[in-house]
Amino acid sequence: MGNIFPRWTNLLAIKILVGLMALGTCVVAVAWYSWTPKHTRVGYMPEQPIPFDHSLHAGQLGMDCRYCHSQVENSPHSNLPAAQVCWNCHGPGKAKADSPKLELLRQAMDVNYEGYTGKPIEWVQVHKVPDYAHFTHQAHVNRGVSCAECHGRVDQMPVVVHEKPLSMSWCLECHRDPGKSLRPLDEITNLAWKAEDLDSKAFYAYLAEKMETSVSKLEKADEGKKWDRELIGAHLQKAWSVHPPQDCASCHY
Amino acid sequence: MRWFFLILAIASSAIALALGPRGTKFSSPPFMLFPDMDNQQIVKPQKPSEFFENGQGARKPVEGTVPLGLEFPTGKSAPTTPLDFSRGDSYYDTGRFGDYFGKGFPEEVKVDGAFLERGKQRFAITCSPCHGTSGNGHGAVSKYWLLPPTANLLDARVKKMPEGQIFSTITHGQGLMGPYNGILAVKDRWAIIAYLRALQNASGK
Repeated sequence: MGNIFPRWTNLLAIKILVGLMALGTCVVAVAWYSWTPKHTRVGYMPEQPIPFDHSLHAGQLGMDCRYCHSQVENSPHSNLPAAQVCWNCHGPGKAKADSPKLELLRQAMDVNYEGYTGKPIEWVQVHKVPDYAHFTHQAHVNRGVSCAECHGRVDQMPVVVHEKPLSMSWCLECHRDPGKSLRPLDEITNLAWKAEDLDSKAFYAYLAEKMETSVSKLEKADEGKKWDRELIGAHLQKAWSVHPPQDCASCHY
Repeated sequence: MRWFFLILAIASSAIALALGPRGTKFSSPPFMLFPDMDNQQIVKPQKPSEFFENGQGARKPVEGTVPLGLEFPTGKSAPTTPLDFSRGDSYYDTGRFGDYFGKGFPEEVKVDGAFLERGKQRFAITCSPCHGTSGNGHGAVSKYWLLPPTANLLDARVKKMPEGQIFSTITHGQGLMGPYNGILAVKDRWAIIAYLRALQNASGK
């Protein structure tokens, strides 16, 4: 009686096992690497109905974020401007009034325009947290967290791109150690702000008033320390007593 | 055996590289593994809703709606929330007494240091792009303007203007300037006027 199985089958079981293990490892590795907002959301750059250029408006022209996103300090939702706000500068006889890119704006706003529909412009949302997580803009911008912390340098983006993962672990990173993300309140919308440029005298004066202590005491305590983001943030955190919540119900309610 | 390892290597790297590196730019909606509760069928701010005929989630108040907290009809209205928008026909809300623009600040606001600071901040955000940080009409945006120059707010004309008229200009616009009642709360408009008066005094003209 000859061999039922030919020679090459001797290693077949091992080959299948090794192959499955290797490919399985790859699948797990890919899932670990790719099925996270760092991969699925970062880089999202949808095309907008009107190619609004943030790097021109907020960067070159130096307009404040709050010119358009006017309710960000009063509302959980940072509003998109009504078409009227665009229209204030791009209406008839004003900037780029005849640009073909603004066709949708004319349709929405210009009653005398033949294509007038009055339909709002359907901007595409770029940054989004899941509906079961509640993020409030108001609480963050009024406590020294700049737009740039979550949205990146929008003033340098011709097309807005999702830059930070906005995942839960990413939120918690900051909620556990908020100091390094804080900045003085009047620099919130200054996306190019650098801690090194902060005037230490005025800053200490502000702190001293806020914490009911003296400038000299504060300065003495900081002697020899590096004047950087961490130091400034730590002071602000203490002065404003910032204690970001970390329990589930603070965002999932 | 050699072939086995070769094919295995190719297959594994194909899987590993299939989804590409992090941070690649893309424009299609993000992939979601378990989208179940991420996108709930609820009305969200400034979002469309299929539930309503015109597709808009936000509803316009029915004609004749009286805002919550408004005593109607009103002679005077007190600012109750930080988000107060015009809700009456008092001087504070309109800048007018009947058919005439009023002079001076309404009694609802207290012009003090904090109020001026607020005015300065709002002026910088909303007015300075065109009128300039000092109010002289040479803002960054106005340089891109092709048509008439932006008003110089330090002008004798604006200096003589009653507060109520400036309020009305901010609220409804004037000439090429559009209305700013949608993005500036009533109190902030008065704060801006107070700061503008300070600028005009400082200009010394």
